[in-house]
Amino acid sequence: MNPFFSPGRLLPRYIQTFEAYVPSKPDPELMKRYGCTRLYRLNNNENALGPPPEAQETLRQFPPEKAAVYPSGDGFYLRHALARRFNKEPEQFLIGNGANEVISFVIKAFCEQGDNIVTADKTFAVYEWVARFSGLEARLTPLKDFGFDEEAMLGRMDDRTKILFLCNPNNPTGTYWDQARLCRFLDRVDGRAVVVVDEAYAEFVEAQDYPDGLSLMETYPNLVVFRTFSKMYGLAGLRIGYLTGSTEMVDAVRRTCIVYSVNRVAQDAAVAAVPADGHVLRTRQMVKEGKVYLHRQLQALGLPFVSGEGNFLMVRLPFSDTLAYRKLMTHGVMVRTMTGFRFPNCIRITIGSMEAMECLTAALGSILGMDADEHTSR
Amino acid sequence: MTPQMTVDLTLAAYDALLPVATGFVEKSALAFGLEQKEALALTLATEEVFLYLCRISAPGKGLEIHCRFTGYCVETEFVFEAAGFQMKAFNLTATPSFEDEAATRETGLLIASRLVDRFQLGITGPHLRLTLVKDKVYPEADPEGAPLSEPVSHYVVRRPDGEEVKTSIRMVSRYCRLRFSPMSARFPGKVADIFAAGHLDAALAVDAAGHMGGILFWTQFRGQTVDCFGPYIFHPDSAPEMAALLLDRCLEEIARSGAVGLVNRYPGTGLPPGYFEVVGSLDFFTEDGNWVQVEASYRQLGEDKGAAVWAHPELVPFLSAQYNRLTLPREIRYVTSEGEQRNAFSVLSAEMDRPRHWAVLRPVAHGEDAATVLADHVRLLEKEGVRALFFEMDLRFPWEAHFTPALLTNGFEPRFVLPCGTRGDVVMFQYRTHRKA
Repeated sequence: MNPFFSPGRLLPRYIQTFEAYVPSKPDPELMKRYGCTRLYRLNNNENALGPPPEAQETLRQFPPEKAAVYPSGDGFYLRHALARRFNKEPEQFLIGNGANEVISFVIKAFCEQGDNIVTADKTFAVYEWVARFSGLEARLTPLKDFGFDEEAMLGRMDDRTKILFLCNPNNPTGTYWDQARLCRFLDRVDGRAVVVVDEAYAEFVEAQDYPDGLSLMETYPNLVVFRTFSKMYGLAGLRIGYLTGSTEMVDAVRRTCIVYSVNRVAQDAAVAAVPADGHVLRTRQMVKEGKVYLHRQLQALGLPFVSGEGNFLMVRLPFSDTLAYRKLMTHGVMVRTMTGFRFPNCIRITIGSMEAMECLTAALGSILGMDADEHTSR
Repeated sequence: MTPQMTVDLTLAAYDALLPVATGFVEKSALAFGLEQKEALALTLATEEVFLYLCRISAPGKGLEIHCRFTGYCVETEFVFEAAGFQMKAFNLTATPSFEDEAATRETGLLIASRLVDRFQLGITGPHLRLTLVKDKVYPEADPEGAPLSEPVSHYVVRRPDGEEVKTSIRMVSRYCRLRFSPMSARFPGKVADIFAAGHLDAALAVDAAGHMGGILFWTQFRGQTVDCFGPYIFHPDSAPEMAALLLDRCLEEIARSGAVGLVNRYPGTGLPPGYFEVVGSLDFFTEDGNWVQVEASYRQLGEDKGAAVWAHPELVPFLSAQYNRLTLPREIRYVTSEGEQRNAFSVLSAEMDRPRHWAVLRPVAHGEDAATVLADHVRLLEKEGVRALFFEMDLRFPWEAHFTPALLTNGFEPRFVLPCGTRGDVVMFQYRTHRKA
């Protein structure tokens, strides 16, 4: 045995610079540490209503003995349910262990060393992360008026650009490209690269001009759309999402996809959730009421905010977002700090139940009151 | 970015191979750009370490020597079996001894430690990593060479190039009237080399005509935190939001680096409001003979997930108060002494800034002689003209917490906790009789 063996030496250079991501501790542990007796999770844009009743019933009925049997390796029934729902072929869907996994599938399928991807600097971080720990360049363009800037993105393209990632609506700003703008962009890309439109929050959008990416893929064969069951459908704990595109596109991505990565409980619950239109309407109503309430409260507190589509909004604070996180946690409210999204001193708040919104605004008021007198923020 | 070069040598610890080891280090150091004098010092240090390994610590056993060039210094790292190595000889206060062969050889280690600018000892499994560092020599800044400072109102914030870095250092020297700044801020060429090596990054505010309005530096992310220096605004009438925009750029750059915190111990011309939390302050002795209190500030870059820290019971009331004030969830675990066998010797590393009369001690190993070793360090450093003396304790390591009684006995007092200062939370102690005449 070589006594000087060190695993670090075998790591590619681009991995050596990475630190392992340390996930948050489970809620009971956090509550213990912050001394709170209940916790409103307003940090991950989860649905406070939980999964649709149909999916909840499926979960309740799941036969335990089936846990011994492998699931469908490619989400057979779910792909058929989605195909029926969206009037497409089952082969146009690829199921993944959350949208994060399908991001990885697409990057692995299309990119090799020397290639690059283009996306925005202030958006969902996983496109950038997966590219970087795959040894690829992530070209980041600044947002313009809190939205993706098509000119900047096109300007960063070159012949090694393989994928452009667009988060629509954008997390965390809630801005979106309308149908005309998306089509104009796709026209200008002109098939030179894959365009991924991440529609994780599509089901929350009520704006009439919001584009349905699924309807555009016949016209634009280089278009891939991501969706998830984690947000609107309340299945975040089961980790299930999907991508869709032309049959040819999905065939290409399938070459790098890991089969059997989505468990059976998740697949069954997602199948039950697909037609749950009532749940979508109820959730939208809750979000609408929550936003109206929060807008009013935040204005009263004198806090500027950015609020667009989706079940979240972003608030600018007069002190560090990470300090705000710690103080809000002591009040039993968990929010998402935005420094990591490159919005220092901002927090993102998930719109949830009215009780949670009231608790949040009371806690914010308390912290702002404390701020003047005693806390140490400069 | 300056290419980082490393050359490696694997050999066994035999006297006969000494010329191979010293030749390797000398040629590498010269090839990496050290002057003859510095290369010779590193070579002599190598000779002492190698002979110690051959005769005392690891005779005949395998070892590796790695020579690394970073652009501004050469690092020579020895990797060998830890058993039998006397780290105590690397104490600044170690004195020559000729009582027996082993003690005489330890004198060699002592000589090695004095020949280099700094050293680091680390343990990886059964192996010890001893790194000797020799810096390149640079001329001091000439503030008169700084361009005129003008108010800058319409500007962009971007990464500077090497010449802009050097110019900004001269402008900091000339216009910022700092009572306290990092040691390397006196050497524009060194800062430019550190910047070129990628170990330092910067954001510069500059207008369309090329007038430089201000700069902020930050270190490459290593461990858990990033240190930032500044912002330095060159003219008081420049745009008021400039400092905040320089910090925004820094935060955007490091936001997804994996770092957990941003620390500021050199606030330059002033931190913008709302960006940092003040953790406490330290007292420094200035070149004009006065004491100045300098605040240390930090901000986390992500959500605090809570942590366990190790502490001696005597430090717990201080820690509890600090964690409560900062709303930091920490589980404090006690270290105890229950009659178990301990190392005989303690080792401290010392970083010193002679012109600014300060030094910081960091623990390398804890032993029964901790109080004596600390007292010796205090005595020696005071003799060397150090007025402000600090001690950093990383609460991630229980053995470091064992230094607490020795520190308190020797007149050190805890000043603040820096969350995740190196790898865990760091308590900064200051020698409390520092203001004595």
